[in-house]
Amino acid sequence: MSEPLPRRAAVTGIGVIAPNGASTETFWKATREGISVLDRVDREGCEDLPLRVAGQVRDFDPSAAIEERFLVQTDRFTHFAMAAADFALDDAQLGRPDTDAAPYSVGVVTAAGSGGGEFGQRELQQLWGKGSRYVGPYQSIAWFYAASTGQISIRRGFKGPCSVVAADEAGGLDALAHAARAVRRGTDVIVAGATEAPIAPYSVVCQLGYDELSTVDEPSRAYRPFTSAACGFVPAEGGAMLVVEADATARARGARVQAYLAGHAATFTGASRWEESREGLAQAVRQALEEAECAPEEIDVVFADALGVPAADRAEALAIADALGAHGTRVPVTAPKTGIGRGYCAAPLMDAAAAVLAMEHGVIPPTPNVFDICHDLDLVTGRARPAEVRTALVLSRGLMGSNSALVLRHGATDAS
Amino acid sequence: MTDRITVEELAELMKKSAGVTVAPEELRRDDAGFDRLGVDSLGLLGIVGELENRYGTPMPPDAERSKSPRQFLDLVNSALLTGA
Repeated sequence: MSEPLPRRAAVTGIGVIAPNGASTETFWKATREGISVLDRVDREGCEDLPLRVAGQVRDFDPSAAIEERFLVQTDRFTHFAMAAADFALDDAQLGRPDTDAAPYSVGVVTAAGSGGGEFGQRELQQLWGKGSRYVGPYQSIAWFYAASTGQISIRRGFKGPCSVVAADEAGGLDALAHAARAVRRGTDVIVAGATEAPIAPYSVVCQLGYDELSTVDEPSRAYRPFTSAACGFVPAEGGAMLVVEADATARARGARVQAYLAGHAATFTGASRWEESREGLAQAVRQALEEAECAPEEIDVVFADALGVPAADRAEALAIADALGAHGTRVPVTAPKTGIGRGYCAAPLMDAAAAVLAMEHGVIPPTPNVFDICHDLDLVTGRARPAEVRTALVLSRGLMGSNSALVLRHGATDAS
Repeated sequence: MTDRITVEELAELMKKSAGVTVAPEELRRDDAGFDRLGVDSLGLLGIVGELENRYGTPMPPDAERSKSPRQFLDLVNSALLTGA
């Protein structure tokens, strides 16, 4: 009896809602052109807080995207997740009749750093302002970081394995890895990703305690990783959902395989211990390459974590060199998040989406607002760089000490 | 304020608390269940809580287990009547 072929995890759909575009197409166009949309924070209640600059999603109308009965019971981060899941499923050409025909074959995995801060704040104000009888019952589920997984599965009628990854910002990549494992274990489709909505008063106040947060008030100077002017990171909202599907299932239904989730690993080196993150990140890259059976020289682009804190930037540049050897100083590195901000768990998801789109379009998007690199990296700045991208490496670290690496292969590559 | 909860008020609460838009006439005409209308158990709990705040009196414990708007109105209105 022959061994069954391993089930490869393919990406067949992408849905993005980002500060620079509330659809995958607008996100990619602005990302490729290196347009920075970092801007003064003007969300109600946030205007006078010390956080001056953020990446805000401005052209998303939740009521046009989501049914009212789901809107009243969910926070903005779940609105993003439900809408991005719709985009991804449309992109994968998986309609309601398709998933209704096999509801146990479709599951959901999300990651979130903080959950529904805006919804939670509103209900807590009711609690302390008017009393416990004025707190709505949906508070019990809406501010929970797991809300998006539940609401996507309920709204779309999915009954397959569902889960939530709570692993710091790098958990966004871990959610994709978890989806890939679920697919290898036998589930046909996992809708996987991360969205965040941290630009609300309570959430912003929570972030003010992070030493790594940039409070610079000039949008073009607030987030400049890998330069001597690095002064921390700018937060962002939005995110991305991907359809992760068994290769064979996708091909059988004639779906377009855009990429493969080829390898992943995660390590932990402690909160804000950026010097140690060098070793942790390098180790995550080595293990991800090993799982992907990928030589360092095969990496065509690195999407950097790009925290914007000098010690963290140095650690990342050294980690890339440690893990990729001489190739580490030659491979193009990019950080499109400098134009949209850093969306916590959603940040590596937007990078993964951009990586898949970079493969498809043969172009590496640039790193907005960043010039005069002070590390030994070939950072793509200014304008997009044409390149054949067959394999991409996406890096992510969390403020609490997680490090993750994901290797993506182009969908046209033959099964190895 | 009337001491009876009308279909109009229930329709308004269904929209406010559960995000479900349904015309009062529809509630009068057709006794569709809350599940078919899209009101889940937390939504119904929210409706009960809102009524308790408005009327300043507890609703019967079974109110939040009602299967349909008609059953719900019968239950809460008879409770309001005996409570008055």
